Amino acid sequence: MPSILVIVEQQQGKPNRVSWETIAAGQAIAADMGWSVEAAVAGNAIAGVAGEVAAKKLAKVYAVDSPSLDRYNPDAFAAALKQLIVAKQPMLVLMPHTYQVRDFAPKLATQLGRCVISDCTGYKKGGEKLVFTRQMFQGKFSADVSFGSDGPWLATFQNGSFRGDKAEDGAATAPIETFPVTIDAAAVRNQPEEWFKEAKQAVDLTQAEIIVSVGRGIKEQKNIELAQQLATALGGEIAASRPICDNGWLPMDRQIGSSGQTVSPKLYLALGISGAIQHIVGMKGARAIVAINKDSEAPIFEIADIAVVGNLFDIVPPLIEEIKTAKS
Amino acid sequence: MLIFRKPIEGIERPEMPADVVIVGGGPAGMACALRLSQLIDEHNAIHPDSPLSKENIYVLEKAREVGQHCLSGALLDPRAMRELLPGFETEAPIEAEVSKEAVHYLTQTGQFKLPITPPPLQDHGNYVISINRFVKWMGEKVEAAGITVFTGFAGSELLYDGDRVIGVRTDDKGIDKQNQKKSNFEPGYDLKAKVVVLAEGSRGSLTKQLVSKFDLARDSNPQTYGVGVKELWELPPGRVAAGEVIYTMGYPLTTKEYGGAWIYGGKDNVISLGFVTGLDYSDPRLDPQRVLQEFKKHPFIAKMLEGGKMIRYGAKSLPYGGWWALPALAGDGFMITGDSAGFLNSARLKGIHLAMKSGMIAAQTAFEALVKGDSSEKTLGLYPKRVGQSWIKEELWKVRNFHQGFEKGFYAGLAHTMLQQVTFGRGLYARYPSHAGYERMQHLDALPANGGAEANLLGDAKGDGKLTFDKLTDLYHSGTKHEEDQPAHLVIHDTNICNTRCVKEFGNPCTHFCPANVYEMVEDTSSGQGASSEVPVKRISLNAANCVHCKTCDIMDPYQIIDWVPPEGGGGPNYDGM
Repeated sequence: MPSILVIVEQQQGKPNRVSWETIAAGQAIAADMGWSVEAAVAGNAIAGVAGEVAAKKLAKVYAVDSPSLDRYNPDAFAAALKQLIVAKQPMLVLMPHTYQVRDFAPKLATQLGRCVISDCTGYKKGGEKLVFTRQMFQGKFSADVSFGSDGPWLATFQNGSFRGDKAEDGAATAPIETFPVTIDAAAVRNQPEEWFKEAKQAVDLTQAEIIVSVGRGIKEQKNIELAQQLATALGGEIAASRPICDNGWLPMDRQIGSSGQTVSPKLYLALGISGAIQHIVGMKGARAIVAINKDSEAPIFEIADIAVVGNLFDIVPPLIEEIKTAKS
Repeated sequence: MLIFRKPIEGIERPEMPADVVIVGGGPAGMACALRLSQLIDEHNAIHPDSPLSKENIYVLEKAREVGQHCLSGALLDPRAMRELLPGFETEAPIEAEVSKEAVHYLTQTGQFKLPITPPPLQDHGNYVISINRFVKWMGEKVEAAGITVFTGFAGSELLYDGDRVIGVRTDDKGIDKQNQKKSNFEPGYDLKAKVVVLAEGSRGSLTKQLVSKFDLARDSNPQTYGVGVKELWELPPGRVAAGEVIYTMGYPLTTKEYGGAWIYGGKDNVISLGFVTGLDYSDPRLDPQRVLQEFKKHPFIAKMLEGGKMIRYGAKSLPYGGWWALPALAGDGFMITGDSAGFLNSARLKGIHLAMKSGMIAAQTAFEALVKGDSSEKTLGLYPKRVGQSWIKEELWKVRNFHQGFEKGFYAGLAHTMLQQVTFGRGLYARYPSHAGYERMQHLDALPANGGAEANLLGDAKGDGKLTFDKLTDLYHSGTKHEEDQPAHLVIHDTNICNTRCVKEFGNPCTHFCPANVYEMVEDTSSGQGASSEVPVKRISLNAANCVHCKTCDIMDPYQIIDWVPPEGGGGPNYDGM
């Protein structure tokens, strides 16, 4: 039976949340095609992550363990995964479209003599063929793409294309196979330094499950505090449309939209955001969108799941109280 | 608080010697580079002992990729290309040869087709092209010829030694909103060049500095401009044939404004549709993007577009002034080509071939400067002389008074045009004067509050999302992107004028004429007055990252206090396929 190999990304012993989405994708494709799904984790001393992954419904989990994989670097990761893929010959290798994958996937594909369909948003079964969908022209068009070559095929999925919580747990823990790799030290051309977070980039909105986002309707800088209180009450992150960040009322790394971040939280609360297309493209993947705006014609309402026409300054304070009450 | 881009002082910049630096990789710049390469190849074949190198010839292009900032209709008169690359048709990206043309006059709801197409608008033998694709292809030729194209690098300043131009400085990268260096700061390069060829396109920013510094336009008519706002549409089959050309005059403009529309049929049922509005209208509330939307609502056009889909958007200014508006074209160390100089035939609505030809003549002259080792005005002065002996002059001389004839409106323009037709382009006077278009803008209190006959051209377009679009939706389809954390590149020299004078006198026309929603008047909350006073105090605010580099603000601002300077290289619209 052809198999799908999902590459789980981990950092310092923790799986990246997007990996669950990729496992869900693998499980869905496998169900449609009648294939099996396996997963692989690469790193150093990663038994813990492998164990966590093995709880999912998978035929097997490979722990690609090597001291050379302690800190991410593209040469070592590509070499290690190449060895695994050559040995196991999966039909399809699935990866989340993360920064790390973007870095090493082209190298890995070239070394295998295969191509990658990158940044896919979905798939379908067209007859016996597996077809991937990817966006073009900043999301204006979608293109269907399929592999013309023999496997192993490589594909990456965009953040938010599948639901991580839909990744099925297995009836029993999947077997874990340690896959030893030897990496030629001479082939590793760069030495990663210590991990650090750039102070200004402290938030990763793409990982937030709840986002409270403010637009021009917030009127004044001092009112940002109100939105922050709502975000805190909900346990979410605060974000904004461009004018707010342009004014310097919130830092630029909190900007959502075509010139900021693209997010797909479970809940997106838009306060006083009119919903120009430039903003919409950054958040339309949210599971639920609640919009509060005093203009009933605001385009945001076209995509909102819950539309509240009214003055946010009347609505938000009692909302915060209600949330606090409900939570306590 | 708005902070504007200005050169970073007191830093050392890497220097690079160059033979020729061509600023701008459009039709003029690329034609110049290609011709220069051909001349060097010929020279080296004849003089193998004293070869010239192409290694130190550079083209600077501020777009991330060649052609991304190029916008035009476009129809190509192949004359210059046939001289540059005979037989180019076999390999160049051409949409279609013009097979059918018509001129329609639109009234509010009706239209009639002119029984004969006026000779200047007869386009048989011309090609419908995407200027983006065409220039991209020229860029590949230039690179294959061994000339380096620096994409993502803008010319930010000219370097002078006294009265001599000695090079170009490229843009500093990695400057934050406050004009401070970021961790990725990279200073611009000082390219010390024997010859600088300015090919920046309409209202070039370096050309503007240069013309003003040396007063190069002292003997010229003021340059006049229009702004073309364009959409690409994908239509159901059978509406507009590939190679079909339709021009319209009239609605939605009144007889007071200059302008008109084009529709060019390309391949695969994609059409180029756009409206040029003369930047010499009088009502400051007029919005050229709105004009295009109103135009599409005309039954004749709406029917044509029904069921179609708008796929791309863009805007660009174009110089109308013609022969009398050309500045002095060369001096010590520099030559000015293409739209930067104003090589455009406004009667034919064509300038690409003239831009290319001017670039080719500049190449010939630059080549001689390299061979002679002299790039002073003595040698480079041959460039304007040769332009005067070429078919550029022949073509522009016939229409030297054309656009000026329209300064008093459509009917006067028609009368002058007819007179000029029978007097070999002369008309009533040997040299018709012209006025800078912004001078015609009137104060709000001199205009009807409801806009009068122009009411449907004023203010924001609403957009139904199918046939018509609001500005932000249109803008989205321009693919415009800039590094956000950088100072504003629309340098307003005195924002007090915007906030106190202009708001009363003209009602901030920048918020209307800008086709990209860069300029906005926002309620001023910083002073604390906004909330309390009855009339909210407004101040100018810039969405600089929206800018599509059309230069309309620099041209049309009634106080002439806006200088458009290049933002960090690589930013701007993405006119792929336009």
